[in-house]
Amino acid sequence: MKWIPKFNSSNSLRVIFIIAIFILLFLSSIAYKHNRDLNESSKLVIHTYEINVQLERLISAIKDAETGQRGYIITSNPKFLTPYIYSRDKVNRSFITLKKLTSDNPKQKQNLENLFSLIIQEFKTFENCLKYSNPKTYDKRKLDNYLFSGRILMENIRFQVEKMKDIEKKFLEKRLKKYDEEISLGPIFSISLFSTALTFILLAYRQISRDLIRLKIYNKKLLISSGLMSESEKIGQFSTWQWDLNTDKMDYSDNQFRILGFQPNAFVPNKDTFLDFVHPEDKEAIAASMENIINNKELPFSYYKIIKSDNEIRHFKSTGKLLTDQNGNNILLGINFDITDEHLLNIELQERNNELEKSNKELASFNHVASHDLQEPLRKIQTFISRISETDRAAISDNAKEYLLKIETSAKRMRVLIDDLLLFSRTNTTKKEFIKSDLNGLLENAKSELAVIIDEKKGSLKVGKLPKLYVIPYQIEQLFINLIGNSLKYSKPEIAPQIIIHCEKILSNEIPELIDQPFKKFYKITFTDNGMGFDPQFKDNIFVLFQRLHSKTDYPGTGIGLAICKKIVENHKGYIKADSKPSEGSVFTVFLPE
Amino acid sequence: MQKNALHILLADDDDDDRLFFKDAFEEVKVQTKVEFVFDGLQLMEHLNNPDNKLPDILFLDLNMPKKTGKECLIEIKKTERLKNLIIAIYSTSSSDEDIEDTFIEGANIYIKKPSDFNALKKIINEVVTLNWHYHTSGLNRDNFLLSLK
Amino acid sequence: MKLFIKFDINTICTLFLKEKLDEQNLNFASLGFGEIELEENLNVEALEELKNKLSPFGFEVVENQKSVLVQKIKDAIIELVYTDDNNNYKSSAYLADKLNHSYGYLSNVFSEVTYSSIENFIIIQKIERAKQLMIVNEMSLTEIAFLLNYSSVAHLSTQFKNTTGITPSAFLRIIKKRRENLK
Repeated sequence: MKWIPKFNSSNSLRVIFIIAIFILLFLSSIAYKHNRDLNESSKLVIHTYEINVQLERLISAIKDAETGQRGYIITSNPKFLTPYIYSRDKVNRSFITLKKLTSDNPKQKQNLENLFSLIIQEFKTFENCLKYSNPKTYDKRKLDNYLFSGRILMENIRFQVEKMKDIEKKFLEKRLKKYDEEISLGPIFSISLFSTALTFILLAYRQISRDLIRLKIYNKKLLISSGLMSESEKIGQFSTWQWDLNTDKMDYSDNQFRILGFQPNAFVPNKDTFLDFVHPEDKEAIAASMENIINNKELPFSYYKIIKSDNEIRHFKSTGKLLTDQNGNNILLGINFDITDEHLLNIELQERNNELEKSNKELASFNHVASHDLQEPLRKIQTFISRISETDRAAISDNAKEYLLKIETSAKRMRVLIDDLLLFSRTNTTKKEFIKSDLNGLLENAKSELAVIIDEKKGSLKVGKLPKLYVIPYQIEQLFINLIGNSLKYSKPEIAPQIIIHCEKILSNEIPELIDQPFKKFYKITFTDNGMGFDPQFKDNIFVLFQRLHSKTDYPGTGIGLAICKKIVENHKGYIKADSKPSEGSVFTVFLPE
Repeated sequence: MQKNALHILLADDDDDDRLFFKDAFEEVKVQTKVEFVFDGLQLMEHLNNPDNKLPDILFLDLNMPKKTGKECLIEIKKTERLKNLIIAIYSTSSSDEDIEDTFIEGANIYIKKPSDFNALKKIINEVVTLNWHYHTSGLNRDNFLLSLK
Repeated sequence: MKLFIKFDINTICTLFLKEKLDEQNLNFASLGFGEIELEENLNVEALEELKNKLSPFGFEVVENQKSVLVQKIKDAIIELVYTDDNNNYKSSAYLADKLNHSYGYLSNVFSEVTYSSIENFIIIQKIERAKQLMIVNEMSLTEIAFLLNYSSVAHLSTQFKNTTGITPSAFLRIIKKRRENLK
């Protein structure tokens, strides 16, 4: 179905979106990891920092202890011992903290233990110093020794702390470096990924907006055409319905409701609704054809009556077709035509035809009456006159003889009139059987019919080649007889009649009188004679029934011959005309369609 | 080998026509015996009666009461015993179509009733002569068509 | 003694003739006043034999010389019409020549017996042949006119029309339709 636009972009759009979503998912996963790594490293820094702080605290506590101890040794004032006493606590607390902090690092743990043993030794040294500085137990050598070893221990502790700090620092550096490496694909890559995704999305957006515009245009067109459709259904008095065989859903067009006598969508139709409106006489046939449509795929035209909601009977003509859409759904599409007007017109036409036929029959029976009933008595009058023998005639008076002669003449004239009238009406009423005939042959027949008169008048005919046409052979023969006979009859008294018959092919637009005819090509047959001719002002009159240009004493006749010619030519959808220059001859031209 | 009198049968409902016909035959040189029937039914009865000798020529008026000449013609041509009769249609009508129609139905001769007694005599003479030729000179009777008007 | 016998000479002759004809196995349709109608034509020998048988009893076959001549004229005409290379013959000369009589005499005898003229008979025969050629041989009028020695097609169709009252084309149409009707 051509009119449905194809939106091919929908598939590519889908691809673009999926790619974009994947890129974004990838980007966000990277961002998440990055974030987590950052968190880890800051934790690590804090961890290292805490260890450093605790170590510093440890050192400072020991230093406090040392300072306190020295102050006491120098002053012996126990006040100086307070920091020493607290430092022990501080050291222990820091130590516990450190122990927690280094629990994940065996090396540091080991170092811490070393440090702890050093500190314990240091405190022992402090106690010994205190002991030997106490005046009661004073021992200068020992004190010096312990002070000195304290000094060394202190150095060792510092060293150990520095070492731990160092390890911690290196560890931190190593971890930070590792994190740095892990997320080094970072900014440029992700920005380019992001911009790709953005491009995709932008492209998709452009496509969508384009499709949207096209969709809008098509939508508008669709709207117009569906509007037109529904209008044309209204004007054309037809309607459509769709029956989706898969869902068994029936859809009526607005006009379908109207032609059934309802407002659009006045009810929800199903497949049997329509049958309710079909006239009982036709119901069976329509139901059968509805059943058949599924098998036949096509519904032949069916003609039937329906009864509208207001009980008006309308005549319908319907047809339908089974369509299969892209998705393989079978949809039955039907059209109903309200042909009531046409039907009524047909009936009227039929009636008129019947009337015409009747009047034609009457004419034919008139023809019969004229041919038999009128002719019979006339024929008898003539025959009886002819039976009055010479001897009989001799026995009657001259007057009676004269009357007898006049009766004879009148009877003869009446015979001619009846014969011609019959001939004329016959050109109208007899069966018009068109047969392909050789006009040359028909002309020959006409000539043999006229042979006696031609001989008598010493006439000559010059005949060109005539075509083969579909004609009523009798009538064309009669036409030729009448035209040639006419020329022979009205020949000049002293000159042998000469008739030239010529034929040529012409186009209807060359002759104004032929333009209305449905044929394009005509044969123009001219009959040119050297007779007495006639006044051109009568050139139309001579074809009128009973019109005569001469007195019947000079030229006997009924004035019917040329009227018959006209009728015959008209029967053949042709045209006849005459022209003349008095005393030079006349030309009769017959146009016959090819 | 002299022929017997020519046997003629005329079917016509018109008294005057029968009179003309009879008189005309009386004046014809050939020896003839003329019989009459008055309508189509009587004609068929006469022909179908095996006791009656079949005529040499049947003259048949088309316009007859009870059974028209054309109906008789068709019936005769369908009857095995009668179909070889020489039939001369003897009618008022003279349209070419009527003539052709009756010829097609099997008539041999078509005569338009003339309006002159001498013409009638001439026509009858011609018919009898031609018929005689057809009988005596071995002509093909299927091709025997004669129209006189 | 003297007997008076009344006899019918006609009966005697009729019976005698019947006997003689039966002897010769001849079928006859009727015995009239001096007239026998035989159901078949006799050839010359058979006729001679019959003559010889009858003559000793004073019977004599009266040959109608005129009828015989007419038959001869007809035969000659038919021969003339059905011979295709007749172009050089004039029919009157041909008949006079062939039958050893003056044409005037032949013409008189012919009309006397048949009530029609030789010319008329020739025309009837020619038209009859033309009909045959048209129907059986499906020849065109032009060919037929040539074959039958007509000066033109027009001449042929005019003569056809004058003889039969219908035109050649109508004739052909009628015969064709008759055949269709028979089917």
